[in-house]
Amino acid sequence: MSATITIARRELRASFDTAVPYVVLCLGLPVLALFFFKAGPGGGFWQAGRASMTELIVLVSRGVAVLASVLTMRVMAEERRSGTLEMLITLPVKDHQVILGKFLGTWLVVLAAIAFSLLFPLMMFKYPWHLGPLAWGPVAAGYLGVVLASAAAVSIGLLISSMTESQIIAYFVTFVILTVLFATSFLVDSIDNESARLVLNFISFDVRVRSMARGLITTRDVLYFLSITLLCLMAAFRVLERRKWA
Amino acid sequence: MANDVMIEARSLSKLYGSYRALDRVSFEVRKGEVVGFLGPNGAGKSTTMRILTCFISATAGSARVHGLDVFDDPLVVRQKIGYLPQRAPLYGEMTVWDYLKFCSEMRGLEDSTFRTRMKRIVEVCGLARVLGKDIRTLSHGYRQRVGLGQALVHDPPILILDEPTSDLDPNEKAEVIRYIQEIGKNRTVLLSTHNLAEVEAACARAIIVSKGRVVADGPLDEIRAKGSKVRYVVIVHEQRTLKSDGKPPSAQEVQQALQALPGVTSIRELPTDDKAHSFELKGPLASDLRPEIFQLVVQKGWLLLEMRRETQTLEDVFKALTRGDEIGDRGGKPGLGWSPAAGEADDDDEEEDEEEEEEEVKAKAVSAKPAKVTPAVEEAEDEDEEDDDEAEPSDKEASSDEDEDEDEDEDEDEDEKVPEPAAEKAATAPKKPAPSTRDANKKDEA
Repeated sequence: MSATITIARRELRASFDTAVPYVVLCLGLPVLALFFFKAGPGGGFWQAGRASMTELIVLVSRGVAVLASVLTMRVMAEERRSGTLEMLITLPVKDHQVILGKFLGTWLVVLAAIAFSLLFPLMMFKYPWHLGPLAWGPVAAGYLGVVLASAAAVSIGLLISSMTESQIIAYFVTFVILTVLFATSFLVDSIDNESARLVLNFISFDVRVRSMARGLITTRDVLYFLSITLLCLMAAFRVLERRKWA
Repeated sequence: MANDVMIEARSLSKLYGSYRALDRVSFEVRKGEVVGFLGPNGAGKSTTMRILTCFISATAGSARVHGLDVFDDPLVVRQKIGYLPQRAPLYGEMTVWDYLKFCSEMRGLEDSTFRTRMKRIVEVCGLARVLGKDIRTLSHGYRQRVGLGQALVHDPPILILDEPTSDLDPNEKAEVIRYIQEIGKNRTVLLSTHNLAEVEAACARAIIVSKGRVVADGPLDEIRAKGSKVRYVVIVHEQRTLKSDGKPPSAQEVQQALQALPGVTSIRELPTDDKAHSFELKGPLASDLRPEIFQLVVQKGWLLLEMRRETQTLEDVFKALTRGDEIGDRGGKPGLGWSPAAGEADDDDEEEDEEEEEEEVKAKAVSAKPAKVTPAVEEAEDEDEEDDDEAEPSDKEASSDEDEDEDEDEDEDEDEKVPEPAAEKAATAPKKPAPSTRDANKKDEA
């Protein structure tokens, strides 16, 4: 277990050694604000006429999709390309510890970014502004949804990254997959076929996050995110193990 | 198995798809030995090391490190090994200290142990100046040192170093070799390289692999003796003699006189200007012909300009052993015609790959029906190989003066020479089984 934590710590540091987290903070939060207050569906927060954080949470989850694909592309692909994977794996460490450590390290960065987005409701409804009473339950539920969805997104990115040596390919494939998963609601409206809509609604991340952001935590949603995470981590483990026989 | 065997490989085979990177490689390394693992690029050195360090698994065969099977106890094996992969891949964004700290944490070392170890490592590997620098800013030599430091951080009884001196400048090479000598004093070291001078400097024993097979294994002296020939170079003045009124000797005269000496097995005139006759003689390893040669020259009244005796260098043996395979390769013999490891295919493998492809095409064309090769045939082939090995050195030595200077020329020579043995083989060895073995093997692999 300690090896897992060591790897996670190194991964965390490696992420903060790149510019990504700082760029996300400096650009991501203003962009988020712009979308939330001005450009959201129905004209943004001020036009909605209620103290609802639902749109913010859905936007945050979409931001997570972008961030996860940027962060995970490096994780395994870079190690494979530069050969450091050989160095890492020939240390006394089990393959699953490598995957788990990498996952935790990357996920923590994403979680930190998500935590920063909590500034919005806190500043709007606690201090320095008091826009009125806010139902905190749905916000908490929604953030639980974002956290779970981010775990799934990171594990998907990790899997893709461990399948290629090219960071660009890893990024692009992950980005496409996550965009489909996190922006399904746009697709669903434009599709007539009933069964296709059912399938899309089922695999969709944002539909689930949205329902959680309204305060509805269902076992189905939680299990869905958890099983995607688990499945992708196991697949990544298999991919890593495959080097032995290829 | 004796207790002091630290690394033991038993008929390790590794297939990359249909490429046989290792073909029944067996060897042992005993406690305290520093063993050079030699071979041309793509011979299977890295593959073997990766199997020993549990990075990849062998297709067949077994390996034990420190008495533990690499397949069953990978974690314990890795604890016992310090490994430096080829080109020392390190995390560029970390500082040297952080990186070594990371490795020690991964190995579960206490912080205090790490600090005491570091004192010694910094001293042995000469890292004092760069501890706080980012690894990506370091020169290649320093990276290799950091790699060595990383391999030493847990004070392992066994060190496996994959080409620790490649890409280094001569000074750095010498230093790294010095570190290895220092480190190897009380450890078992397996050191892969294709630089023979390093092996001679650092190792007492060498294992030579070629095309995935062990072609020589033993103390350096024994390997050198494999050549079993000594070469003499005699240069006699062409225009003057010992006495001022003597008649200068003709080339033919000198050649005949030298050839008549007892023990001379072959003689060849070397190219010179018109002031001297230069000859190369070969004699048995056991005896020294220099007194006889001197007596002859004095007796004839010639002016001796130069005489030297050269035993075969490790390099000669290496070339002979590994080139024998190449020729066999081109002749399309089974068992030798394996291609280099796909996983570690270096740039210079491309040529060989192309040949492989050609061969395969031929193979497919020739044998539509798969037939198993009988053991008898295989044995015959093996004998052929040995013949090659023995025959080659003399062939090669004949032209070795030019060889020493210009490797490129040598390659051309080699190419020119190829058709003969290949043709001979076509006449002696049964041709059909060759491609069909490949086919049969391919099916097995599939």
